[in-house]
Amino acid sequence: MREMKGLMLKKEAEKTPGPMTDFLEFKRHLPKERVLLDLAIVAAAFVLLAPILKVQRVTDFMIFCIFVLSFDLLYGYMGRLSFGHMLFLGAGAYGGGLCIRYITKDPLLAILAGIVMAGLLAMLIGLIIVRTTGACFALINLAFNQVGFFLVLSVLRKITKGEDGLGVVPAGLGWLNLGSRPIMFGFVLFFLLLAFYVLRRVTTSPYGYLIRSIKEDETRVKFLGYNTFLYKWLTYVLAGCLAGLAGTLSALNYGYVNPNFMDTHRNVEVVFAALIGGAGNLYGSIIGGVVYMVISNYLAIYIPRWEMVLGIALLILVFRFRQGIWGYVRKKGAQRSISPEIGIEKG
Amino acid sequence: MINTIIYGLTIGAILYFISIGLSLTFGTMKIVNFAHALVYTVGIYMVITFLPLLRGNFLVAALIGTAVVVPISYVIERFIIRRLYGESLDYAIIATYAVLLIGVDLIKWIWGVNPYPMSDPIGKYLSLGGLTIPVYRILIVVIAVLLFGALNFFFRKSIVGKIVVAALEDKDGVRCLGIKVDKYFSVVFILGSALAALGGILYAPITSIHPYMGFMVLLLSFSVVIVGGMGNLNGTFVSAFALGLVMSLTARYWSQAAETMVFIVMAIMLIIKPIEI
Repeated sequence: MREMKGLMLKKEAEKTPGPMTDFLEFKRHLPKERVLLDLAIVAAAFVLLAPILKVQRVTDFMIFCIFVLSFDLLYGYMGRLSFGHMLFLGAGAYGGGLCIRYITKDPLLAILAGIVMAGLLAMLIGLIIVRTTGACFALINLAFNQVGFFLVLSVLRKITKGEDGLGVVPAGLGWLNLGSRPIMFGFVLFFLLLAFYVLRRVTTSPYGYLIRSIKEDETRVKFLGYNTFLYKWLTYVLAGCLAGLAGTLSALNYGYVNPNFMDTHRNVEVVFAALIGGAGNLYGSIIGGVVYMVISNYLAIYIPRWEMVLGIALLILVFRFRQGIWGYVRKKGAQRSISPEIGIEKG
Repeated sequence: MINTIIYGLTIGAILYFISIGLSLTFGTMKIVNFAHALVYTVGIYMVITFLPLLRGNFLVAALIGTAVVVPISYVIERFIIRRLYGESLDYAIIATYAVLLIGVDLIKWIWGVNPYPMSDPIGKYLSLGGLTIPVYRILIVVIAVLLFGALNFFFRKSIVGKIVVAALEDKDGVRCLGIKVDKYFSVVFILGSALAALGGILYAPITSIHPYMGFMVLLLSFSVVIVGGMGNLNGTFVSAFALGLVMSLTARYWSQAAETMVFIVMAIMLIIKPIEI
C-alpha cells in the first residue's frame, strides 16, 4: 500500500512542470489534456478576477501578461536580459495604430499589421543584437529602444503625429462591438490564451529545449553542431512578434497610441514583473504580470515615491527572492509532496 | 565649422570622463554599472546646492561635488556590487538599475523635477579671427587630455594601477599571486565614479539639469565603451572624442539625430566586431 502511494507520488512529481524535470523526461509532445488544463486555469483565473477588479483593468492586466510572456521567452528561457523590450511593444502599437488610421479599420488586420511590424523590426535589428550576450545585449536593446522612441517622437512626426499620438478606433469584429468592455475582455483573453498556447508548445518542443540549453551553455550547444545564431534570432523574432501583439492590443484597448508606448524608462516594469513572478516559467510570467499591475494600479495611488519602492523591491528580489512567487510556490509544493529520495532522483 | 569641432571635442571630453569608470568596471568586474548614471547626477546636484553657499566659487563646488560621490560609490560597491561578484550579469544589471531608480527618485524628492539652469562659470570668450570660442569649453578639453596623461601615468607607474591593468588581462592570474583583487577593484570603482561625477559637473553649465539626465549620458558612454573596447583605456579615449565629433557634426545638420547617430555607429561597430562577455 505504502509502495503504491510512493509510486503515485512519484508519478505526480513527474507531472509537476519545471525546466529540470521536463528536460530530463524530454517529452516530445505535450499531452493535450495538460495544455487544455493550463489554458482553462489561466482563463478561469482572469474571468474570476474580472468582477473583483474592473473589467477594463483586467483587460489591461492580460495585455501586460502577454508582454511579460514575450519578455520571459527571451529572459527566462533563453537567458538574454533585454532592457529595451518596450521597442517591440511600441512597434506593435504603432503598426496597429497606423494600419487603422491609414489603411483599414479591421481590428484583426490591425493586429496582424502590428505583429508584422514588430516582427520585421526584430528580424532586422535581431541580426545585430543576438550576436551579443549579457550586458551588451541588455544595453544595445536599450539603445535601439531609445532610437525607436526618437523616431516616433520626431523623425516620423508627420505620420505618427509625434507627442500627440494617434487615435485608434477599430471597427467592430463582425457583429461584435469592440467598444464594449466585456467583448474587448473576451477578445484580449482569446489572444492571451493563444500566446500562452503557442509558448507552451514552443517551450516544450525540442526547439524549446535547445534555447534553454543556449541559456545554460551556448558553447556546448555550438559544439553539438547547432547553429545557435539562427535559434537565438528566431527566438528574438518570436518574442518581438508577441510583444507586438501586446502592443497592438494595448493600443486597441486604450483607443490611442503615443510615444509613451515606447518609453525606455518603462522597461523596468516588465523586468520586475518577470522577476517577481519567477523567470523561466509561463505561469510565473502571468502571476508576475498580474502582481505588478495590481501593485502599480493600486499601491501607486497611496505611495507617492513609487519609483523608490520599485527599486527597493527589485533589490530584495535580486538578493533574497530570486525564484519569484511561482518558484517559491513550486518549491514549497515539492517539499510537501515529494519524499527525499525522489527529490534526489529529480536532481 | 570650427565651432562645431570645438563643441564635438567638448562633448568627447565629457564622454571620456564618464566612460572611463564604465570601461574599468566593465573590464575588471564584468559588471555593467547603471548606478554610474546616478553618481553623475548626484555630483551635479551637489554643485547646484553648494554653489550659492560658496558665493559662486565653481572650483570648490566641483571639488565638493566630486568628494560627495566617493562615499556614495563606496556604499554601492560594498553592499550591492561586491555581493554580486561572479554571479549572473543580469542580476548586477537589475540591482544597479534599482539603485539608479532609488537614487533618481531621491533626487526628485529633494530637488524637484524642474530643470535647473546654470551659467558658464568662466564666462570669457576667446576670439580668433572672427570666431568666438568659450574658454570654458577649451578648458574642458584640456582637462580631459591632462586626465588621459595622468591616468596613463597612474596605470603604468603606480602599483595600484599596475595591479588593475594586470587584472584587466587576467583576474584569476592576479588573484593567484596572492593579491586581493577585490580591494583594488573597489578603488577603481570609486575612482571611476568620482571621474563620472567630475565629468557631469563640468558638463552641467553646458546642458540642462534634470533628474533623468543620467540615463541618456549612460547610453552614450556605453556606446563609447563598446566602440573603444571594454577595459581598453586608450581605445576609450579615442572613441570618446570620435563619437563626440560624430555627435556635433550630426547636430550641425540635423540637431535631433545626434544621439541616434552614435547608436548607429555602435551598431556598425558591433556588426564588424561582435563582443562577447
